[in-house]
Amino acid sequence: MILIVGVSHRTAPLAVREALAFPSEQIPNHLKRLHEGTGLAEAMILSTCNRVELYASADGANAVDSLVSCLATSHEKSRAEIEDSLYRLAGDDAVRHAFRVTASLDSMVVGESQILGQVKEAYQIAESAGTLGSALSALRNRSLAAAKRVRTATAIGRNAVSVSHVAVELARKIYGDMRGRQVLLIGAGKMSEIAARQLVAGGAHATVVGGRRFERACELANALGGTAVPFETLGQELARADVVISGTGAPDIVVSRAEVERACATRRHRPLFLIDIAVPRDVDPTVRQLADVFLYDLDDLKAVAEANLRERQREAGEAEAIVEQSVRDYLDWQRSLDVVPVLVELRQRAEQIRRAEIERARKQLGPLTAQQEEAVERLTSAIVQKLLHAPSVQLRELAGHGHPAADASFLRRLLGL
Amino acid sequence: MTAQVTLLLTLLLYTVVAVHASLRSLARSRILARWAHVAVVLAFALHTLSLGQRWAVAGHLPVVGLRDIATALAWVVVLVFLLVNAAARLEALGLAAFPVAFALTLVASLTSPSGRADPQLQSLYLPVHATFAVFGGGALFVAFVMGTLYLIQERELRTRAPSFFYYFAPSLERCDTLGGASAGVGLTLLTLAIVSGMLWSHAARGTYFSGSAKEWSAVSAWLIYVVLVVVRHRSGWGGRRTAVLAIAGFPVVLFVFAWLTWAMRFAPTTS
Repeated sequence: MILIVGVSHRTAPLAVREALAFPSEQIPNHLKRLHEGTGLAEAMILSTCNRVELYASADGANAVDSLVSCLATSHEKSRAEIEDSLYRLAGDDAVRHAFRVTASLDSMVVGESQILGQVKEAYQIAESAGTLGSALSALRNRSLAAAKRVRTATAIGRNAVSVSHVAVELARKIYGDMRGRQVLLIGAGKMSEIAARQLVAGGAHATVVGGRRFERACELANALGGTAVPFETLGQELARADVVISGTGAPDIVVSRAEVERACATRRHRPLFLIDIAVPRDVDPTVRQLADVFLYDLDDLKAVAEANLRERQREAGEAEAIVEQSVRDYLDWQRSLDVVPVLVELRQRAEQIRRAEIERARKQLGPLTAQQEEAVERLTSAIVQKLLHAPSVQLRELAGHGHPAADASFLRRLLGL
Repeated sequence: MTAQVTLLLTLLLYTVVAVHASLRSLARSRILARWAHVAVVLAFALHTLSLGQRWAVAGHLPVVGLRDIATALAWVVVLVFLLVNAAARLEALGLAAFPVAFALTLVASLTSPSGRADPQLQSLYLPVHATFAVFGGGALFVAFVMGTLYLIQERELRTRAPSFFYYFAPSLERCDTLGGASAGVGLTLLTLAIVSGMLWSHAARGTYFSGSAKEWSAVSAWLIYVVLVVVRHRSGWGGRRTAVLAIAGFPVVLFVFAWLTWAMRFAPTTS
């Protein structure tokens, strides 16, 4: 049975999550201690900034307790201290949770892509620490496959939810491909740099307009593989640019309407995308009225980010359906495994009986020729195989659907094992 | 199976596809997704078969009368969608293409084929002229849809409050490029259709241009698309202006086809 004990952004404030986090280099030690101390054969620790979870495969309520103790003692806390923010999941609920976490449906920002990598890494660490067995491996493979299916079949991760990513997404909504496009940076802030980096990665060329401290513009231009130009050339650069990201600390308007109008006159209706992330604003807000000019300030970008988040949540319904189907498939498969030991025993028992009966018959028949020997062997094997085939197949299937007839102890009694 | 039965089956399948396209886009439902893919392929195959059957019965390319013209246009619209979608995955085009294909097929299946036996229909000009015209119509339909999507996306970007269409419509650049390219192809085919039509008219009646409403509107459409292509060529970015032209030109093209079917007679014999 899969067990999960943990805290997440849903149950615990940052302070608690912080206090319970496992630094990734210490995880192998904790896993080993958990394994040695409690005898849990399979364990995994997932520790991100939004969740700390311990996964295990074991039977019995004691196992859950050991996980809780491990989480508390690893951080020198008493169990009572963490009890309130803790959730304990077992069996189907735990499986469902694991699938939802991996598919980024339980994330703070639904659909964010980081979690997939973090989950992969957590399993990786458990694997190298030797605490990943067949149950958790199966959970890993199935949940990662489901998460990938969610990504490709829904738009859950498609729309940006951070301001700088929204700016990039908008640029793509206008220009499509960024190859060969000109990005003009006015001011060298962190946010403009993040956005510019992505545009450059998409094939755009960056130009940085320097202010009073020209060397900073040069540094940024170098980092972006672009060029730095003095502030006086802003007019010419505006005429050339496709995307302008302005984020200076200037108290007044830096890009005036007249300047944008002049630039537009030579652009022949090529759109100009102005992103103003400065507070107070750098770009005259009235340029919005000009044809072929798209101006987004910080509030506009935030509004788009919020709309994108709503869009993701709408897609999440679709994603939940995919995950639910994968969870059900996994559980069916898991349950069908429950009868495997019974079936193995049944075959061993049948083989025993067959052997014993051959011995008995041999005494009555006396010595047999090699040919006769083979015929008897084949005859008895065929009877056993054919008798057991249908029940084996059926039991696996019944077990997969959770049918009560496939209960292992019931079967053992029924079959006299 | 007669052409009529094949066409009805095609109609049924287009219904599935059109409903899927609408549900997928407007209600984000994928309930028909698996069926829709099969239905598109099957519908197109049946559609092609029914065209073949009609051709065999009519003895000439089946592009005479409302039924045949509607069938041929629907077929080209779907073909163009399949080609564009294969080259540049464009779901948004499907939302326009399949309802149109459905409507045209519906019209076709409700009307009976024209049984006119005109010796001029055996002319070699008919298949040439009709092929150019129908494919030209298909290309200009794509230009029309892309122009519409351009204006919608531009509006979304201007209002800065993304609604459904912001996510649904492709980027401005994509609309512009694809719309411009389609208009270019459409204009070429339209030119060839007009020239072959004139030659046919001359062969049949000894006059290149008879001044009918159809001929005048074909020439007006041609002029609109010439302006579009020139504007686009000069600035490299068509933008709003070419989007508007692509939208404005299409009703004129539609008028040519509508006039043709309404008159129920074909080029050289009508005036």
